[in-house]
Amino acid sequence: MSMQPHSKKRVCYYYDSDIGNYYYGQGHPMKPHRIRMTHNLLLNYGLYRKMEIYRPHKATADEMTKFHSDDYIRFLRSIRPDNVSEYNKQMQRFNVGEDCPVFDGLYEFCQLSAGGSVAAAVKLNKQASEICINWGGGLHHAKKSEASGFCYVNDIVLGILELLKYHQRVLYIDIDVHHGDGVEEAFYTTDRVMTVSFHKYGEYFPGTGDLRDIGAGKGKYYAVNIPLRDGMDDESYESIFVPIISKVMETFQPSAVVLQCGADSLTGDRLGCFNLTVRGHGRCVELVKRFGLPFLLVGGGGYTIRNVSRCWTYETSVALGVEIANELPYNDYFEYFGPDFKLHISPSNMSNQNTPEYLEKIKNRLFENLRMLPHAPGVQVQAIPEDAVNDESDDEDKIDKDERLPQSDKDKRIANDGELSDSEDEGDGRRDNRAYRAPQRKRPRLDKEPLQIKDDLKPDDMKDDVKNVSNAEESKKDMPPNP
Amino acid sequence: MSDCALVTNVSEHDASMDVGSDKSLFEPTVDMMVNDFDDERTLDEEEALAAGEQQDPKAELNSLQKEGDMPLEELLALYGYDRNMEKPIPDQVPEVVPEETERTERAERTERNESALSQLYNENANPEATRCLRSGSRPPSEEEDDYDYSPDEEDWKKTIMVGSDYQAAIPEGLCSYDDALPYENEDKLLWNPSILDERITEEYMRKVCALNLGTGIELIPKGKQLRDDEEALYLLQQCGHNAEEALRRKRISAQTPPHASLWSEEECRNFENGLKAHGKDFHLIRQNKVRTRSVGELVQFYYIWKKTERHDIFANKARLEKKKYTLHPGHTDYMDRFLEEQEASGGSVVRPASPSPMMDYATSPVTQPDPLALGEKEVFSQLNTHNTPPRAMSTEEPEADTGP
Repeated sequence: MSMQPHSKKRVCYYYDSDIGNYYYGQGHPMKPHRIRMTHNLLLNYGLYRKMEIYRPHKATADEMTKFHSDDYIRFLRSIRPDNVSEYNKQMQRFNVGEDCPVFDGLYEFCQLSAGGSVAAAVKLNKQASEICINWGGGLHHAKKSEASGFCYVNDIVLGILELLKYHQRVLYIDIDVHHGDGVEEAFYTTDRVMTVSFHKYGEYFPGTGDLRDIGAGKGKYYAVNIPLRDGMDDESYESIFVPIISKVMETFQPSAVVLQCGADSLTGDRLGCFNLTVRGHGRCVELVKRFGLPFLLVGGGGYTIRNVSRCWTYETSVALGVEIANELPYNDYFEYFGPDFKLHISPSNMSNQNTPEYLEKIKNRLFENLRMLPHAPGVQVQAIPEDAVNDESDDEDKIDKDERLPQSDKDKRIANDGELSDSEDEGDGRRDNRAYRAPQRKRPRLDKEPLQIKDDLKPDDMKDDVKNVSNAEESKKDMPPNP
Repeated sequence: MSDCALVTNVSEHDASMDVGSDKSLFEPTVDMMVNDFDDERTLDEEEALAAGEQQDPKAELNSLQKEGDMPLEELLALYGYDRNMEKPIPDQVPEVVPEETERTERAERTERNESALSQLYNENANPEATRCLRSGSRPPSEEEDDYDYSPDEEDWKKTIMVGSDYQAAIPEGLCSYDDALPYENEDKLLWNPSILDERITEEYMRKVCALNLGTGIELIPKGKQLRDDEEALYLLQQCGHNAEEALRRKRISAQTPPHASLWSEEECRNFENGLKAHGKDFHLIRQNKVRTRSVGELVQFYYIWKKTERHDIFANKARLEKKKYTLHPGHTDYMDRFLEEQEASGGSVVRPASPSPMMDYATSPVTQPDPLALGEKEVFSQLNTHNTPPRAMSTEEPEADTGP
């Protein structure tokens, strides 16, 4: 193995082998089968054996009604293809029927998707893992009492609600080509969840996500929308993603992150209109991972299924910190990946309507909003010890994997995870951004998050990590397959 | 605008009669007052409320339209402004909503702190801005009385809704789990990589791989891509990560034929007929053609089948038949869509001959180049054994120990 064991994160992967068998209907672009294709690639790349694998529990109605209304979940539980005629009225009310059809096993499908994200959140809360993956989740359009955009139950909202039990502030990032409206709406009035969505805006589903939508009430300035035009390529995407996310991390200081990896922002997507490659998409995962916070990765959109499975496979490898060959291994769906049978894809020649000036303007406007944050209600000023702001890397690797941490240790970690880890910085300008930070910004602290300094610094590990990641970037060529 | 002001008293009076109960919604809660609540919230709630009352805005629009065309006297009369208050008020006056909106807006305007950004947001939240509600309807604001209602030019825009019907309820503060999970059903651990050294795991998998080949010509490229066998890893997990024990069990189970059911030729044919008749409505196909399988199994089969020669033959045949019977509404529709999709997904290079080894159909299994032969095998094994390993195996895993 080329990787040092220490630079690796414990990654948990949630998958139910039934998930690929749910079928939205003839001609429907949403195909759960893509999750099985991803899974099959992971097996054939030998990534499966490197992760802790769970078949998630089926979320119960009780769990789902932590967010959704009772009526709505009761409806989802009762509706079947053979009784739709009895539910005409409710179907209209809950927006089920067209984009969100009634199909066999609909409720079970929702249970698995939601079960995975909730289980993953619990796992992170228990600090039993650093990164959790649920490609069956990410259904970000679902509303409290309404299905929308192929999404019925919002597993992300449920997952974040679970994370909020242990984390004062949770950051949600959405790189689906569509606006993450369901999640934004669910947390629109709270300052404990910041939602950041990068999406195509303008005559496009779901029609929300205006730059000027910034949250309301206590949640004002805690919704961040990056409206984009057609043709976003890797370079443009990174040019806006990096500064925004760095700034958000700096000002919001979350202690856990959820990243929705909707793969319809890839080039050639059946419904999307961006021009990202698998590498550019995966770059976002890499960048977020570097902050070293408890990290939940979920799926989302993605309608050219061969590319979706490429993308999520690659992103799993990024999460693991393992390089994988560009040559696709033989797999059950090999024929889908013709004619080149490669992992990585090339961008198309479509024009990018996002000029650097446009992106700059958006960025500046959003920075302005983010500057309002410290004065936002809910962020009380409270003195913290000088030594609290220390820039060291996380030390999760040292902690025994199966050991449940005692509460005090846990607290220490939570507090520290909120910090930017400088040692992970690497040439993307984040180090510079630190200078913007208001001098010794005071952070709100709960009693449960006492500040302590971590004693075992392990910068070497992080260097390894960074080195390996950049290796992965540079190696555009095929890497030798894993033994 | 003066008209509106005049109307205020009267319609407020109406409100108390008609929709008195709704009024309670607009009273600021203690929470709002204490926490210096952003008053835009009330406005959004108004919108939310209006959106909830789907009928009202439409009825209202109609009445507003009518009113627009009325002579002024008549209009005043309509609202009882001729001082004859006993005149019955027509029932199409659900005037509460815009009135309330107006009032809250006004209150807001005076109170507002005028930072540039909050101004920006206010423009946004103001119903006057070119935005519409998710429902596509929007509550008319008083400004609309001034000009004819025209459908929004930016119809695609939607608004994030605010109110208890939309936001998640967030429990206060943090908490911690005891030993109990916050949910009842259990997540099933299928593989834990941290117990064994990676090399031991790989060694084990190589052995399993060899076992699987059985009599086999050793075609699987060893060492190169070592495919993870989730079933074997699960077995290892169940054997307490004892590779020896896992291999022993594996050997025993390898001798018994795979229990997962193979698709018979008849099932395949029925499936294809079903596809012809119902398109990809697997629910109907199951109901009418392949009763021996669950819908899930049909979907699983479909995704393998569609990349086999068998599918190509099916598609070609369907094309020919389509030519013969040009118009055949119910059926051709499905086939059209089906074929279109096939074409869209493009032809591919490697095609296994058929999705199931049980079909004596497979034309030339041996003459194919090596990777293809391997491919086929893989496809079959996927269909026949990789089917939901853990749940099927569950507790009576060593069920394979049938012949001791």
